[in-house]
Amino acid sequence: MKLTLKIWRQDSAKTKGKLETYNLSDVSEDMSFLEMLDMLNEELATKGERVVEFDHDCREGICGQCSLVINGQAHGHESHYTTCQTHMRSFKDGETIFIEPFRAKAFPVIRDLKVDRSSMDRIIQAGGYISAFTGMAPEANSIPIHHNIAESAFDSAACIGCGACIATCKNSSAALFMSAKVAHLAKLPQGQVERLERVAWMVNAHDDEGFGSCTNTGACAMVCPQEVQLLDITRMNYEYNRSLCVTN
Amino acid sequence: MAFKQGLFKTSVGRKNLMAITGLFIAFFLIIHLVGNLILILPNSFFPVEFWGNVANQHDMYNAYSHFLVHFWPITLVAWVLYLAIAVHILDALLITLNNWKTRGEKYEVTDNSTSTWISRNMGILGSIIGIFIVIHMGQFWLQYKVLGTEHDLYNLVVATFKQEWVIILYEIGIITLGFHLVHGIESAHRSLGIYPKKVMHIIKYIALCFGIAMAFLYAIIPLIIYFK
Repeated sequence: MKLTLKIWRQDSAKTKGKLETYNLSDVSEDMSFLEMLDMLNEELATKGERVVEFDHDCREGICGQCSLVINGQAHGHESHYTTCQTHMRSFKDGETIFIEPFRAKAFPVIRDLKVDRSSMDRIIQAGGYISAFTGMAPEANSIPIHHNIAESAFDSAACIGCGACIATCKNSSAALFMSAKVAHLAKLPQGQVERLERVAWMVNAHDDEGFGSCTNTGACAMVCPQEVQLLDITRMNYEYNRSLCVTN
Repeated sequence: MAFKQGLFKTSVGRKNLMAITGLFIAFFLIIHLVGNLILILPNSFFPVEFWGNVANQHDMYNAYSHFLVHFWPITLVAWVLYLAIAVHILDALLITLNNWKTRGEKYEVTDNSTSTWISRNMGILGSIIGIFIVIHMGQFWLQYKVLGTEHDLYNLVVATFKQEWVIILYEIGIITLGFHLVHGIESAHRSLGIYPKKVMHIIKYIALCFGIAMAFLYAIIPLIIYFK
């Protein structure tokens, strides 16, 4: 395959970036998207140019480290895939591919396609945890829970924290990311200790980090690699309003 | 730990306020429609033996308008409505301005296939409706209720809807309103966290039907008066 790549190059958050064009030939359609970028970087390194920096880790779709907005869609056009699981066979020979970083005020660019997503960590630190006894893990059957609820909590817990929802959102809202954690813990018995405060703490941290208001366009859920449901945002709003109405 | 809470201060709170005021205005739309349907009912609907002194469309509509203006509990609700509209607009500005601030640099390429045009452009639709409301209130509410220069509202309505530019303006305003409702009704339920799965599955279709029904019924009133 022959490809024309338009890649965002930016030295640091302080400098201005721009799209640079690269031509790449002999790309195998069995390559993953990141392997294609590795190939480009090898060519750049051989020529003595600075390589394109991008985030990646496990490359098997579970760590949430890879990012990239490919042709205008977070993680590319294949629905519910991470960038690392996107393969070159889904592109056409001779295609021009635009590669940009995840963009939001709360995601400052570190370099090129690499962005600082620690703002999401700070939302989790604000309330995405539970109080539990230390020591041995308790006997699993000592905590009664309905199978359907456990399954539903697990669906919310599946969020890998990649930030595609935020990159896609026209308001740069982290509602889907935040609500996945709120819903996950609200559904489980272990999450009840901080249930009332958690949602208020997390929403506050969310606003302080500079994320926007959710306007329910639903674009986030369409690109989520883990198929976290839009219903989780509704659940979070319910939890928030409940926290306003109830006193412990 | 101290934290902000309340309707104006957090991203979730502001959306709650949008939802509450929006749903209240949507509810008003039903009442407003029911009253104005008098305008398109046939004259045979108003027999003397049933309506007493009020025996035709002209008198019935004027009696209805008189009642709206002079019955004080309705005046009270009207003020709540003005307040709801004002809060809805101010809150929308607050949310929109804040959301502009949170955006990063613009993408060179955007793919919008993941969401609907309506859901992304509620602000534009809302602004058109806002302008429409100002014109609409200037034509009727201002003259009949505030200035009191026009006492026969029925004649004023009919005379106004005999002008082509008014018809075009109203159709644009009403269709825009329909679009705004289709996303607004669903979004309001999501913002308020009305959560039961059964509700969430059908709310999208309820919002669609409500939007279409409102747009259709409001749209035919000026047309029927124009062609009558």
